[in-house]
Amino acid sequence: MVTTYLTRAYRSFAIHVLDVPSRLLALLLFQPLLFLPMVLPTSASTNYLLSVLVFGSLSAIFAASWDLLVGRCGQMTLGHAIFFGLGSYVTTMAWVYLGWPIWATIPLAVLITTLASLFIGFPALRVKGPYLALISMALPLIATSLIFYFKDVTGGENGLPMPISGRFFPQMNVFDLRTGEYYLTLLLVAVSGIILYKIAISRTGMVFVSILDDELASKACGINVTKYKMMAFAISAAFASLSGAVYAHILTVASPFAMGTTRSFFVVIMTVFGGMGTIAGGIVGAYLIHFIDSYVLRVIVDVPVEWHPFIFIGIVVIFILKWPRGITRFVTDGLEDLAEEREIEERGAHIWKKYKRKKKSTPEG
Amino acid sequence: MGLVESFLIYGAITGAVYALLAVGFTLIYGVADVVNMAHGAFYMLGAYIFFSFALELFQLNLYLALILAAIAVGIIASVIHRIFIDPIAEDIIATLVVTVGVALMLQQVMTIVYGIGHVEIPPFLPGSIVIADVTVTYSKILAVAVSLILFFTLWTFMRKAKVGAAMRAAAQDREVAMLMGINTTRLHMLTMAISGSFAAVAGVMISSSTSQMADPFMWLFPLVMSFSIVILGGLGNVKGTFVGALIVGFAETGVVTFVPEGTYLKGAAALAIMVAVLLLRPRGLFGKHIELED
Amino acid sequence: MHLLEVENLTKRFGGLTAVKNVSFHIDEGEIVGLMGPNGAGKTTLFHVITGFLKADSGTVKLRGENILGLPPHKIVNKGIARTFQVVRPFRHLPTIANVLVALKSPRGSKKIEWIKTPERKALELLGDVGLSEMMMEPAETLPHGDLKRLEIARALGTEPELLLLDEPFAGLNPIETDLLTKSLRTIHLDGHTMLIVEHKLHALMKLAKRVLVLHYGEKIAEGDPEDIAKNKKVIEVYMGKVA
Repeated sequence: MVTTYLTRAYRSFAIHVLDVPSRLLALLLFQPLLFLPMVLPTSASTNYLLSVLVFGSLSAIFAASWDLLVGRCGQMTLGHAIFFGLGSYVTTMAWVYLGWPIWATIPLAVLITTLASLFIGFPALRVKGPYLALISMALPLIATSLIFYFKDVTGGENGLPMPISGRFFPQMNVFDLRTGEYYLTLLLVAVSGIILYKIAISRTGMVFVSILDDELASKACGINVTKYKMMAFAISAAFASLSGAVYAHILTVASPFAMGTTRSFFVVIMTVFGGMGTIAGGIVGAYLIHFIDSYVLRVIVDVPVEWHPFIFIGIVVIFILKWPRGITRFVTDGLEDLAEEREIEERGAHIWKKYKRKKKSTPEG
Repeated sequence: MGLVESFLIYGAITGAVYALLAVGFTLIYGVADVVNMAHGAFYMLGAYIFFSFALELFQLNLYLALILAAIAVGIIASVIHRIFIDPIAEDIIATLVVTVGVALMLQQVMTIVYGIGHVEIPPFLPGSIVIADVTVTYSKILAVAVSLILFFTLWTFMRKAKVGAAMRAAAQDREVAMLMGINTTRLHMLTMAISGSFAAVAGVMISSSTSQMADPFMWLFPLVMSFSIVILGGLGNVKGTFVGALIVGFAETGVVTFVPEGTYLKGAAALAIMVAVLLLRPRGLFGKHIELED
Repeated sequence: MHLLEVENLTKRFGGLTAVKNVSFHIDEGEIVGLMGPNGAGKTTLFHVITGFLKADSGTVKLRGENILGLPPHKIVNKGIARTFQVVRPFRHLPTIANVLVALKSPRGSKKIEWIKTPERKALELLGDVGLSEMMMEPAETLPHGDLKRLEIARALGTEPELLLLDEPFAGLNPIETDLLTKSLRTIHLDGHTMLIVEHKLHALMKLAKRVLVLHYGEKIAEGDPEDIAKNKKVIEVYMGKVA
């Protein structure tokens, strides 16, 4: 919405006025975020801010992953939280039962969830639009039932807790811990965002968009559509599980409520707010939602907690009612980035010059 | 031995009651081409409103409370359709997202009004009867009776009454129906009212005869069940819904009866059926919408 | 051995037989035309050959290999590419990206010689159909005539042996028709065999050496364009019975 226009304005400004590569500019604007904890005093309110940013970062990764699958590849799912939950549980269970350290359990969680996504995706991605959305909604429900079923292993309703040593920096005090988590999650957002973005603008990403636009035509181009859908699904699941796994270690518990329909729907809210299909939109939207939730709706105007989801969902529903194209197009004008992407433009301009020269020397028949 | 009888009898009971739940879903799809993700939410709403009328607010006679709850949800469903669905009905993806949004909003409203825990849904009739070595509560028998009566009333209505014919016409071709002078918007609202009130009755009957409670998250399971049944039976086909409901009912009962602690796996059975149907025979048993490649 | 051999192909939709016992063959290097009034089954025939619809009976062989029943993308990767009667561009992608997608297919990516990048190859193909200037424009901004040419460039991206064109001249004005004819001749000289569905006989006559005519799903005539134009049955079918 608003953010998309701001992003575009900033981009035009960066490219046309400053003539500085927008990536460099982004880095410059990114710096304050890096120094934030050092500048602010150690206090409860700083801690609060850092917490908001930590969870915002995790949601950002989660939303960006969903955006790749839905905004770029057009495979609408409404149960993305299943990967988040799987990530949480695998890492917690590996930590508690296998005794592995964090830097091993988290990659394991990502690996297993990605494999599971291929297993799920194989039947799920073959069905048409609304069916995929429904099946994806049913999955977290099934997973939750299984968690309750195997409650001896998974801790059932209460979740599976980790001792304090399950944290990222167990030795630190509360404030330093928060700061550590802050930098860690910030780093993860940066890395994930860049990777997801690079994939989105690569030729594989173009194939994703071709599937979004016209699956049939894509097949007519020799593309194995199922294979690419699975790829998008798996990549998406990988990053979603990453955010879930980190989340588990920050809260030191894996909970079945991490897989609720509300969390899955919130990803829709975040990407709609930030601009669907742009990857960056998901990230921006996530932070935006967290900020509104933690500051606007708590500090500025005190709204009871139960009302928060209602308000967000209500806003998005109204938005979709007024601009259904906004969500069914899936991709806002943010796909200009495929055209603006320096690489293709530079290569293109270069080739075009060569081509023109060639044309002049060999007249057309 | 006792397990098999239990399976047969409870399977039939579950199937019959599920038919009532699912028929609303298939109806609104068949007539208005809407995949209503909030269908389970109407089920939930029915249970909660019944609770309010019966226990909290008015201490009404249970049957009166049931009827009022059905009417109330019917009206609400109709209004929701008008406000949230009708404007964007042509757009499948938008309807999906909006109806899920509506369902979640209703979930939140229930949380705000009733709290996050569960509320009690009283049974209709005390006592039970023993059939073939299986104990069946009178509540369950009532639930089956109510479901069958309503289901077949709807069936007859669709076949005989003028409005029923209008619904069937609209189901076949919306534009032509409009040209014939049928006010499709109002027709759809009526259809949704029926759909919602049936879901509400199902909500009351099922929760009062089984778990005897309602919570704000109970809407997802009936939705998955309805979807599974309707996919199996064929979207938009009322007869198919009945058959589908029986099959799913037996499948679920089978899992619950024969698998140790199988109650937790109820949803898995429905999901498995749904996936199997979508992969092997996407139009379901009786459906006519054949999803062509192009 | 024929490049494409279709034998007794039949496709039914419930009570309607769209393609009835159609047999023909195409040899390497030919340009064959396919004509018939609307509803004759030409597009259905394309759908079946390219795997988008399942046939009820008959065979389709590519270089002797039976390809009936294969999924569309596999058939493309065996060497048959097609365009659609109603254009199906990738609207959100820039023009060059449309072609790049085709170049990402297994067959399309194999044939890129080591010296070229996919972008260069895509630009070349766009040049072949006269769309180089539009390369960075989003496909959705292109006018209809350009989109038809983009379809062809995209199909060429899969390095096909056989190109099936479904009414490539539809909706084109005389100048565009002329340009397209020239482009298709060039493409033909590059070594592509073509089967072209077209109503505009004059355009077809300039390109095709042989023409097939379908009517109600059956092949009613086959021969060189001059003969077909004079064929009584064909005229009847298109114009109605002459009293």
